[in-house]
Amino acid sequence: MEEKVLQILGGLCGAEPGELSPGLDLFEEGLLDSFATVQLLLELEEAFGVSLALEELSREQIATPAKIAALVREAQG
Amino acid sequence: MLVLEKLKEYAAGPERTALVNRGSRLSYRELDARSEAFAAWLLARFEGDFAPVVLRGDKEPDFLCCLLGALKSGRAYVPIDSTLPPSRAAQILADVCPCAVVDFTGGLAGEGARFLTAGEADAILSAPPASPVPRESWVQGGETAYILFTSGSTGRPKGVSITADNLAAFLEGVLPWYPQEGGVILHQVSYSFDVSGCAVYAGLSRGMTLFSVDHALAAGYRELFAQLGDSGLTFWVSTPSFAELCTRSRAFDARLLPNLRRFLFCGEVLTHTLCGMLADRFPAASVVNTYGPTEATVLVTAAEIPPALRQDPRGIPIGAPIRGATLRLEGEDGREVAGEGQAGQLVILGPSVGPGYLGRPDLTERAFFTDPATGLRGYRTGDRCCRVGEAYYYLGRMDNQLKLDGYRIELEDVEANLQKLPNVLRAAVVPAWKGEKVAYLAAFLLLREPDGLGPLQRTIALKKQAARYLPAYMIPRKLIAVDAFPLNVNGKVDKKALARRLEETP
Repeated sequence: MEEKVLQILGGLCGAEPGELSPGLDLFEEGLLDSFATVQLLLELEEAFGVSLALEELSREQIATPAKIAALVREAQG
Repeated sequence: MLVLEKLKEYAAGPERTALVNRGSRLSYRELDARSEAFAAWLLARFEGDFAPVVLRGDKEPDFLCCLLGALKSGRAYVPIDSTLPPSRAAQILADVCPCAVVDFTGGLAGEGARFLTAGEADAILSAPPASPVPRESWVQGGETAYILFTSGSTGRPKGVSITADNLAAFLEGVLPWYPQEGGVILHQVSYSFDVSGCAVYAGLSRGMTLFSVDHALAAGYRELFAQLGDSGLTFWVSTPSFAELCTRSRAFDARLLPNLRRFLFCGEVLTHTLCGMLADRFPAASVVNTYGPTEATVLVTAAEIPPALRQDPRGIPIGAPIRGATLRLEGEDGREVAGEGQAGQLVILGPSVGPGYLGRPDLTERAFFTDPATGLRGYRTGDRCCRVGEAYYYLGRMDNQLKLDGYRIELEDVEANLQKLPNVLRAAVVPAWKGEKVAYLAAFLLLREPDGLGPLQRTIALKKQAARYLPAYMIPRKLIAVDAFPLNVNGKVDKKALARRLEETP
């Protein structure tokens, strides 16, 4: 699952999945803007068949690859 | 100016809210008084110096007070968005030579103009003027009301001047699409983008309440939706991109905005997908699509898009000319293309066409003209369009300008600025398309010397450097180092090959 998350993230910010460390702050490093964020969430929903309530998500909850993976895991129940 | 007349009228009547910003309210009376104070200060301090006033910020309520105050004092204003890097803002200051700069964002400095912080501006705006500013002082006729800076192909932003007469023509054409009076209008578009005029000029002229959404609010759904739910919004104005962002959340529907009756879109291509989604979620709201370049004052066509048209295989029409505007399609030979469905360059004629580009007679002469037959001012848009019956359809650009998330960008502007980075020898920027829209930009870079970095570290480093020269929306999402550019038969960088390469990368 983590691997798939990294693959999606790599595709969005032009990086090799292997370069993305779990704690990398995607907003701080300028890798995600608001339009890329929405794209990310859509791709996560599609890839994992989960439903993410965007209006309840804060930026903090998706700031790093590790946090994103945790979010997906939680949504999978 | 109509907006100033109406401001005075509503200020003299019963209490009415002009602007809501994160819960704080500004009444028409306060807006009139504070703008009056700023006008009086400008008149007293600068007397016969009618150089423009630069306003830099986001959605601060006093931004609007200063904007209207500048107009009352007979001075044009130049809005600079808070997200523009200081170096790009400095280029604008150099072109404009303003008398005063109100910097709500902070950090700008320079010579030759009076710089005011938000606090200093507040003190001026709060001091009631000794006597009212006479109407004769207001910006009028052919005098410049604002100068907006857009992406320029040389890597330096270019200023588009718009006069009081241009704005009067815009209002005459757009107001029939507005409710007679009152309501709450979305005020999300940046002041530096002329679509904001749909709220500022048209909204205030109809006594509406401007519901502000600043950058921070627009960036997160949770707070945005909480505030939208309390907004009482009746009239939505934005680029299709911003509405699309909102529709990504299932909570964006008529239960969130029960009073919403109209969506008015401007600034980029409106898609079937968005129209269909809005029809499902907001059955009581109509959708109006419009089109217009900054050079001809916000918008020159409009049409309501009924459900039947939402299936139109040609795409969503941009509409018929608004009252006062004349449109013509020209072939490559400059002759009129009159046939149904035939493509040509869209030419706009009429009183909303502005005087041209600030300090750039060469660029102005290339795109603007006065029609010998009618005496009307004309502008060649560089947009390819066709006409079917009354309705015009947008087909694409004739040059390298594009719209990304509603922002107007010249690819050469991005390339020229990326080439300012120390280790970038050459840059070629290509758009990545998704359906009818540009999804993001990708830059292919020829480096001066190997940097020993992986793609991620290089991207992070280059994005940080690029932020010194470019606003965030112009920084490509992907920065890809290459050993050589593919060349086409003319020996130029083969952008089609680069675009194919982009499609092949995951």
